[in-house]
Amino acid sequence: MHDSDSDNYEGSAVLGMCCNGAGSVHLARYKPKNTHVVIKKFNMDNRSHEEYDLVEQEIIMTRQLQHPNILPYLATFVSGHNICVVSPLMGYGSCHDLIEEYFNEGLPELAIAYILRDILHGLEYIHKRGFIHRAIKASHILISTSGQACLSGMRYACEIVRHGKWQRTIHSFPKSTTNNLKWLSPELLQQDLHGYNEKSDTYSLGMTICELANGVVPFCDTPATLMLTEKVRGSAPHILDRSTIPPNTMDTEDDENGEKKLVCDNIVGDGNASSSSLESVRTRLHNMSSRKFSEPFHALTELCLLRNPSDRPTMSQLAVHPFFKQCRRNDESLIEILRCVTSISEKHAHSAGDYLVALSTEQLVDLDLETCQWDF
Amino acid sequence: MPLFGKSQKSPAEVVKALKEAVNALERGDKKVEKAQEDVSKNLVHIKNMLYGTAEAEPQADIVVAQLAQELYNSNLLLLLVQNLSRIDFEGKKDVAQVFNNILRRQIGTRSPTVEYICTKPEILFTLMSGYEHQDIALNCGTMLRECARYEALAKIMIYSDDFYNFFRYVEVSTFDIASDAFSTFKELLTRHKILSAEFLEVNYDKVFSHYQRLLNSENYVTRRQSLKLLGELLLDRHNFTVMTRYISNPDNLKLMMNMLKEKSRNIQFEAFHVFKVFVANPNKPKPILDILLRNQEKLIEFLTRFHTDRSEDEQFNDEKAYLIKQIKELKSVHEN
Repeated sequence: MHDSDSDNYEGSAVLGMCCNGAGSVHLARYKPKNTHVVIKKFNMDNRSHEEYDLVEQEIIMTRQLQHPNILPYLATFVSGHNICVVSPLMGYGSCHDLIEEYFNEGLPELAIAYILRDILHGLEYIHKRGFIHRAIKASHILISTSGQACLSGMRYACEIVRHGKWQRTIHSFPKSTTNNLKWLSPELLQQDLHGYNEKSDTYSLGMTICELANGVVPFCDTPATLMLTEKVRGSAPHILDRSTIPPNTMDTEDDENGEKKLVCDNIVGDGNASSSSLESVRTRLHNMSSRKFSEPFHALTELCLLRNPSDRPTMSQLAVHPFFKQCRRNDESLIEILRCVTSISEKHAHSAGDYLVALSTEQLVDLDLETCQWDF
Repeated sequence: MPLFGKSQKSPAEVVKALKEAVNALERGDKKVEKAQEDVSKNLVHIKNMLYGTAEAEPQADIVVAQLAQELYNSNLLLLLVQNLSRIDFEGKKDVAQVFNNILRRQIGTRSPTVEYICTKPEILFTLMSGYEHQDIALNCGTMLRECARYEALAKIMIYSDDFYNFFRYVEVSTFDIASDAFSTFKELLTRHKILSAEFLEVNYDKVFSHYQRLLNSENYVTRRQSLKLLGELLLDRHNFTVMTRYISNPDNLKLMMNMLKEKSRNIQFEAFHVFKVFVANPNKPKPILDILLRNQEKLIEFLTRFHTDRSEDEQFNDEKAYLIKQIKELKSVHEN
């Protein structure tokens, strides 16, 4: 049990920002037990009341979930102008980080199988408890150094149960979700009278599978409106290997539209695709078109991305898909696949310095006081 | 009755089984784990009758009516809330879901569960004291806010002595509990306008002496949220009498003027919305007028420089210009 006394936590390094820059993430030590934890800090003073409500809602929702594959909040407290949230350190960071730093062309299939199996259990639990996650993506999947995957990002989730009734469909659009649009299902994005339900998460999971396998999320360079049209039309992205990359995709420079352009968007990834050297695109394509994913993997992805929500499997149905047989058949564990990865605590073993710098800038801001004195 | 598979337990049977299990849990016999398991199992059973599952629709109204009647007769709702800490993590949430569904029940315009709880106010008091306990605070919060939607229940809660415990709950160090308690507190004071206006008028001194503590809290979030709520309460036309009383007290004006120059921009901004009421009051009592006059020059200069970056917030800029004009035109009573 962790307590809510801010004096018991000692920050050591800034790990990055979260929630579209609303919060900063710090590596910290919980003094009574001398263990590493992660603290998310939301400075509330420069934030609107809507932002406050989002942070509050995420915290209260997360505190009412208890599952090994959902990132827990161990403690929450207010310190200065910050709301602080303590969670366990997930040593290998997010899958997004892993892709960026180590697996540019995507994670190995077996790694994805392990990760997905964990995430499915987490999602099954979330749905059973009456929530839709609405923000499944690689950056919300965290990996511990013991090789367990945890889902985070409850900030965007919504309740299916409202005022003592189980809603059959939901119509609300998630707030501050611009960064998640690529992963969202067509029915959620369409915002029409049909609404959506927890099957929307199945679609997002499919997009995440593509992201994990290809190294970038589908439609990553497609403008939002075109992306929506494509999804509504039912164009389903693929995990890319020699069976799904069209043979002549190498001639990208002549072809600016159509299917091939879309495939390229999937492959190139970063926003400045046009400026990235053609050579690196060729290498990437070459590597991807020479690999082979298993049939069940392709089949699973396809199922998740079906256009009609009621055709998509539920999380419990996915959990028994033949794709996961390889987890049982294989001796190599997730940690072994990730052996090339330096964990966060190793990386920051000697960096107590930058945290102090961050603290002192905060104090400088505080010095800027109103000097006016009232005469009562 | 289904022809195949396990036969469905009747409402009376499942309520009886749950009651026995909760009683066993309360006694703390040797077989606590077994009792806990039975409680969870029967709770899920009742929950599925009310909400349905992925495979099955909720039970027909007649079954739900029987179930509700059994729950009232057996006093099970109170028993469940009293033993909430002993029920496992998921079971606690099931209690809240069952409770909230049953509470919403309607027969025509009547809400039988609300009527029932009015005769058993211990249920409400037990729920309110739930904020004392980390492990059940949020569960009690969801049930309390659902209760607060009904005027009769909100009335019982705000007029009870236990209501004043909220001033402590909203300030506890665990953020999620404090902020959940604040949501409930706010719901109780704002949902039923006439009820809460009457309550605030009758209990003005007691409520506002407690409220003062929140505005001076060490906890930034408590201070910010309570200041914002204060602004909303004072500007609600139902609370006119309360507002008039509040803005006649020079101590309140001093507090707001000090909050105007707090280091937190957010608090400055919220304080502005309370401060403006003091200035806009056409019948300022002398002590208020005196303070404003003594600080006339300083206030004009201060407000001119106040949040100048909010250029796109038209309403704020209009109000600010209005305040500056009002303060410039202030004259002491003797000069007239």
